[in-house]
Amino acid sequence: MSIDKSNFKKINAYTWQIPQTFRSDMRVPAIIFASEKMLDDILQDRSIEQLINVTTLPGIRKAALVMPDAHEGYGFPIGGVAATSFPNGAISPGGIGYDINCGVKLLKSDLEASSLNHHQGLLARRLYEEIPSGVGHGGRLTLIEKRLDEVLVKGAAWIVDNGYGEKEDIHFIESEGCLDNADPQAVSDHAKKRGKDQLGTLGAGNHFVEVDVIDEIFDETIASTFGLSLNQVVVLIHTGSRGLGHQVATDYIRIMNQSMTKYGINVPDRELACAPLSSPEGTAYFNAMAASANFAFANRELIAWEVRKVFKEMFGERLSTLYDVAHNIAKIEEHVINEKKRSRKKVIVHRKGATRAFGPNSPELIDEYSLTGQPVLIPGSMGTASYVLAGTTEAMELSFGSCCHGAGRTLSRHAAKAQISGKKLKIDLEEQGIFIQAGSISDLAEEAPLAYKNIHDVVDVVDKVGIAKKVARLRPAVVVKG
Amino acid sequence: MKTFTIIPHTADVRLRIEADSLEKLFVSSLKGMNRILNKEYEKYLDKHPILEEVSVTSYDKTSLLIDFLSEILTRSHMHKAIFHTIDHFGIEGNSLHAHLLGAPVDKFTEDIKAVTYHEAEVKKNDKGEYETTIVFDI
Repeated sequence: MSIDKSNFKKINAYTWQIPQTFRSDMRVPAIIFASEKMLDDILQDRSIEQLINVTTLPGIRKAALVMPDAHEGYGFPIGGVAATSFPNGAISPGGIGYDINCGVKLLKSDLEASSLNHHQGLLARRLYEEIPSGVGHGGRLTLIEKRLDEVLVKGAAWIVDNGYGEKEDIHFIESEGCLDNADPQAVSDHAKKRGKDQLGTLGAGNHFVEVDVIDEIFDETIASTFGLSLNQVVVLIHTGSRGLGHQVATDYIRIMNQSMTKYGINVPDRELACAPLSSPEGTAYFNAMAASANFAFANRELIAWEVRKVFKEMFGERLSTLYDVAHNIAKIEEHVINEKKRSRKKVIVHRKGATRAFGPNSPELIDEYSLTGQPVLIPGSMGTASYVLAGTTEAMELSFGSCCHGAGRTLSRHAAKAQISGKKLKIDLEEQGIFIQAGSISDLAEEAPLAYKNIHDVVDVVDKVGIAKKVARLRPAVVVKG
Repeated sequence: MKTFTIIPHTADVRLRIEADSLEKLFVSSLKGMNRILNKEYEKYLDKHPILEEVSVTSYDKTSLLIDFLSEILTRSHMHKAIFHTIDHFGIEGNSLHAHLLGAPVDKFTEDIKAVTYHEAEVKKNDKGEYETTIVFDI
């Protein structure tokens, strides 16, 4: 089915709707947050068709949404958000993705930008040495099954309990770094074998550890509450649940593809395979996903320990956590579904390449962020910028408390490599004051800034729509990639 | 004769495979996946110290192919190995059984997270050959 701009109803300059009448199997409308130019770009791939497919999920409420960093994914588009009714609505592993609880942690230092002068090269090398990265590289811990099961149940707290993290961190992690429905028995032996030596490892692709300098503050009051200031050095850690999460997704997409007929479910794309949350398959996936999410929270906490080791050694510096957020996850949350009744209902919120952005006074937020809204961490590409935003009340109304998660790719890895060599990119970035340490310099070009959407445009859209508020911009100084 | 083509795409890698029998389609798909996992996988062809047995049942031929490759990808990650040779291979209905011979590799050149069902459809083309596209999440 061909889709063009004539099929969209323009709600405002940054919000577009495809009405439920567009296709007979749609259960709710589809909503796209984007500028008109971005919408033109998004229409170049199958993101919108995928979003329309999402509107067919059993039990979906209000609308299927996609953020301005949208691009084609599997089942759901990247940037997709959908809420289904609790407890009998669908849960779809494709609405979370293969990298369960891929997310971002931000560590704050008391260092100023000038402290990095003449140290960036060494800092890049030391971080690369301490943080295992790349394809198939194991970490500093290899866990027997009993210990791995403990990680799957306890999440980030397991790292702290075993001497690799800081107790204060737990308070500053989404869901305190532990989803309590996690069940190791729902995680396959294959998944455990893939994950047993991967704690504290970065992986490859777009995952990174980045040392940044805050080069612009947009909201002094919120920045102050977050403990952020101009010229401050901070660290971003972007990774997820590694092979363990990939395998859990693979296992359950297969299981659900085989069980859908039992529940009378028919979806237009096999990658949208789903089951009622209340079914044995739906519950098992939800509990295995939570276990994988806990593994990812633990992974980022252990990498934070590795980063802290280097900062202490080089600068005598202690790092504290601003926040740790997931951008590939499903959670049971309460949201207003019926605008007239205004009562909050429990729903299963799927976020795939979308970040929770709860606004002020949300009951789930910790006291420190209850007046500002939660910190929302948006990593950009390695040569541009990343952002710290704050969740808003409007996000609770418009997007199930969600916003974008990054820049979103526009070029294939192959096309990026054809346009610039890794060696030239490294030199160019160093001239801009950005030092890179990567496992493969030739593959570095795959993640070149030219392969991604303009992060500033993406963030401007969510700020203008009102689903997040700009707080601070981060300029990269050191980037470590697998 | 090369029966697969690797096609770069925005955030993933795609394989286009054609073969004159269903069994050959599966074998060519595995070769293609191995080429993505390790560009120099042919240098391991004469090494096969790892033997694994695989049984897969799915609900149609397309799912059987994707589930088969997923199973081998999992074992590649678990053993940090490439499974390059299929022995005792049999497909019956929507089930298959195979013995796989593989060798540990120094490293993978690409981190394949998963073999997806996205765009996959095993069918016969106008030439009477089996064909499909397979998208790998990397």
